[in-house]
Amino acid sequence: MTVEIGHFALVLAFALAIVQATVPLLGARLGNARLMATAAPTAMAGFALVTLSFCALVAAYVASDFSVANVWQNSHSLKPMLYKVTGTWGNHEGSMLLWVLILVLFGALVALFSGNLPATLRANVLAVQGWIGAAFLLFILATSNPFARLTPAPIEGRDLNPVLQDIGLAVHPPLLYLGYVGFSISFSFAVAALIEGRIDAAWARWVRPWVLAAWIFLTGGIAMGSYWAYYELGWGGFWFWDPVENASFMPWLAGTALLHSALVMERRSALKIWTVLLAILTFSLSLLGTFLVRSGVLTSVHAFATDPARGVFILIILSIFIGGALSLFALRASELKAGGVFQPISREGALVLNNLFLSTATATVLIGTLYPLAIEALTGDKISVGAPFFNLTFGLLMVPLLLIVPFGPLLAWKRGDLAAVSQRLFAALGIGLVVALASFLFVDRVSVFAASGCGLAAWLIAGSMTDLAQKSGYPKVGAGVAMRRLAGLPGAAFGTVLAHAGLGVTLLGLVSVTALEVERFVTMKPGETLEVAGRVLTFEGMTPLRGANFVEDQARFSIAGADGKSLGDIASSKRVYTARRMPTTEAGIRTFGFSQLYVSLGDPTDDGGVVVRAWWKPNVTLIWLGAVVVMIGGGFSLADRRLRVGAPAARRKRTERPA
Amino acid sequence: MTFFWIVAALMTAAACFAVIWPFLRPSDDAEAGHDVEVYRDQLAEVDRDLTRGAISPAEAEEAKAEIGRRILRAAESESAAASRAEGRLTRVAATLAILFVPVMGLGGYLYLGSPAVPDQALAARLATNPSENSIDELIARAERHLFENPQDGRGWDVLAPIYLRVGRAEDAVIAFRNTIRLNGTNAAREAGLGDALFRVAGSVVTAEAREAFERAMELDRSDPRARFFLALALAQQGDTERAANRWRAMYEELPEDSPWRGTIVQALARVQEDPSQQQARGPSAQDVEAAAELSQEDRAAMIGGMVAQLDERLRDNPHDAAGWQRLIRSYSVLGRADDARAALRRGIDGLGIESAAAAELVAFAAGFGIELPESQ
Repeated sequence: MTVEIGHFALVLAFALAIVQATVPLLGARLGNARLMATAAPTAMAGFALVTLSFCALVAAYVASDFSVANVWQNSHSLKPMLYKVTGTWGNHEGSMLLWVLILVLFGALVALFSGNLPATLRANVLAVQGWIGAAFLLFILATSNPFARLTPAPIEGRDLNPVLQDIGLAVHPPLLYLGYVGFSISFSFAVAALIEGRIDAAWARWVRPWVLAAWIFLTGGIAMGSYWAYYELGWGGFWFWDPVENASFMPWLAGTALLHSALVMERRSALKIWTVLLAILTFSLSLLGTFLVRSGVLTSVHAFATDPARGVFILIILSIFIGGALSLFALRASELKAGGVFQPISREGALVLNNLFLSTATATVLIGTLYPLAIEALTGDKISVGAPFFNLTFGLLMVPLLLIVPFGPLLAWKRGDLAAVSQRLFAALGIGLVVALASFLFVDRVSVFAASGCGLAAWLIAGSMTDLAQKSGYPKVGAGVAMRRLAGLPGAAFGTVLAHAGLGVTLLGLVSVTALEVERFVTMKPGETLEVAGRVLTFEGMTPLRGANFVEDQARFSIAGADGKSLGDIASSKRVYTARRMPTTEAGIRTFGFSQLYVSLGDPTDDGGVVVRAWWKPNVTLIWLGAVVVMIGGGFSLADRRLRVGAPAARRKRTERPA
Repeated sequence: MTFFWIVAALMTAAACFAVIWPFLRPSDDAEAGHDVEVYRDQLAEVDRDLTRGAISPAEAEEAKAEIGRRILRAAESESAAASRAEGRLTRVAATLAILFVPVMGLGGYLYLGSPAVPDQALAARLATNPSENSIDELIARAERHLFENPQDGRGWDVLAPIYLRVGRAEDAVIAFRNTIRLNGTNAAREAGLGDALFRVAGSVVTAEAREAFERAMELDRSDPRARFFLALALAQQGDTERAANRWRAMYEELPEDSPWRGTIVQALARVQEDPSQQQARGPSAQDVEAAAELSQEDRAAMIGGMVAQLDERLRDNPHDAAGWQRLIRSYSVLGRADDARAALRRGIDGLGIESAAAAELVAFAAGFGIELPESQ
């Protein structure tokens, strides 16, 4: 009965979403307060119903109710409980339900906290959310119903794809969806503003925290996905420029641009039209990502099932929402009032430059992702636009962007002084050059890439910190005064510094691994040793082991330093999941400082040996730690709930020039 | 199912209420100048920041001036949009919305849903009486048991021929090997292994299968399965003459009601019909299956095996009151009243004669007409 209640709740939620999408819109049009007021209670009731529905599906997974086709296809009674629960969204139908659950959660939050919004804006925003919800609920009910039943019920399920049987499935998709779907709020606000034909102060104040929250989640989701791929797929890569990865990366790039332009809008009321356009584009890219991943256009671990009907359906949703929003933009954008003016050399100017780089980068990734698909659709040829294309284009775009990042926060609003800012950044520049030189002299004498990359990373970190030093007055005032001043600084100041410095940390990790990684690829027999970057691996032997739903051959290696001192051991295994008879490789990873030793097993050879691939990955964890630093920065900024008004700085009269 | 509809009706009512809710409240005033309010908040915030020392007085002045400019702009454009009286259109829209929710919800569900299908949690399905399980469920129960106790020879012995009959030949090979390893060999097990290997190989008597049949023959010269397949091996090697002779001899010796007689007749017919084709394809996979289709007795044998397992487990763990109830019910459903009575006695001993659980067990057994003789 639980299952059918979940199904009924989903249908009822669809009905409510249609009411939410139409009645408040009509109310806003007629100026009728009661019709507009239906938006909030329907949004909240819709959230309650979808939650109920989702819980019913989770309950069916937990109880191994194989009379539900979706459970039968993706679960197994012997699977550990954690994977029974996470398996709920480890498949197409369940993941779409999670998508909608997060969508209605955000809708309900807007409804709950929007009491101080103008009534018409609130009604329109929630109505647009209602449209999105109704479209995806219809998609689920019509083409991907997770509550389809089987009679008679099979006795055992087909198990979840073993690659997904990992803690990563508990974290990566929910975070990613919180990011993707979070951008739907800024989309709804943008479309609502276009429907009303005006953007007011409340708009920017409302949109920025939502964008920030979505962006933090998306950052975490992408980083987590990257780390998951790194340790689970067994070849030690962390980013493949795979179309599915690009699908999550494009909204992130556009969202980063949106975050910065929303900042300008919040503080200076400028860049209104551009911000609205970015808000639409960011969510459109999220939808595009959903389409690419869910339609079966791409084959990957993310494309759970390929069904042309679903692809066409999502394509229709995509066209209606993106096409509709952009048409509305074309019609109404001219009615929006342009905001304040500013000099090219100013905080605003720097943020515009940031937006130019980021949107160009987004376009580059978009072309690199869609071009092969278009070629395949038109001519049938399969071409691969791989890492070389992206490294050349995207990489080249990022270098100047990262070079100018430290300048932005130091420039004043409205009108800034580039020469003075450069002067303050001398110390950071010095640190960058010293690091580059040190890397060249002591680490790798050949790689110019490593030297310049480490230098750039150091410049980014030191440059970001300069902002804090500046605000605290250090070293001019004593350390004690500086600390007190730092403590009094608003959270947003730390947010900016941490987010920018986090980029530098990630860059340092990327450069170290790319330039200085050591790889060994040998056949080993028990007792043999292998030297990797000053560490000696000794193959202790293979042990057959048995898990809840798999059997594995585990290879153990002991690690010793160059001086013979033991550094612990490491285990890597080949698993076969019994239900699907599917083999997987479990990499063995051991962390030393920020670096990792990564061991992965290949096939056994006829003479009793086994193929072993071992990598020394210097500073590899910095890639993801950097993302964590970025997220913490975002958190600081989000926690800072001051009202912000960008007034031209008057701190240093002597640096001010006539406008 | 009635309960489901009650819950569904309550959910629908709640959803409708969410739509009606705004129409039930007294109307409040239309929106005031929200923009101006936001800016006033901002001014107050600037003052607070100033007193906290977060910004300098000069910065505060600049910020206030900026906000002031925005308030002026907002006041200019603020058009007092008073809430208009509720016209007919409003009432129509509200009525439609309230009707739409139950109609769409119930209609959509009746089209998509399966209200009559109950939940079927696996644990609940497996906890029922073995005699109520389907054959798939019986197999799953046995598999679960063997997964936890892989050294249980009797379990493998019961499961192996069942695998063969439901067409899971590869699993049957493993199960037959396990029962031979754990229980020792006999003609039926070796012949079963040969049969399973024959099916895995796609209806070909491979060398490995033939060896199994030969071992079976050594143990029991009269085993019909081994005899049949060894003859078939000859036929598949091209020696249809000898194969046919053996089958004819076997036919004479078999009792009237043996299912193998029909199989032999068909095999003979096929050999004589077209000897050349006979070599290429094994003929008798279907015939063998037909002869060995899961009969009522097989099913009973399997259930018997399950019940015996339960019986065994209760010897080791006699404090399991629910287990004793299941065992007594199983025996009485199978018509084995004496065994049920014996189980009741053991259950009472195991649970403790004076215990409440024992009293409950006696009452439970009485419900099936199982009672202990007075002399106890």
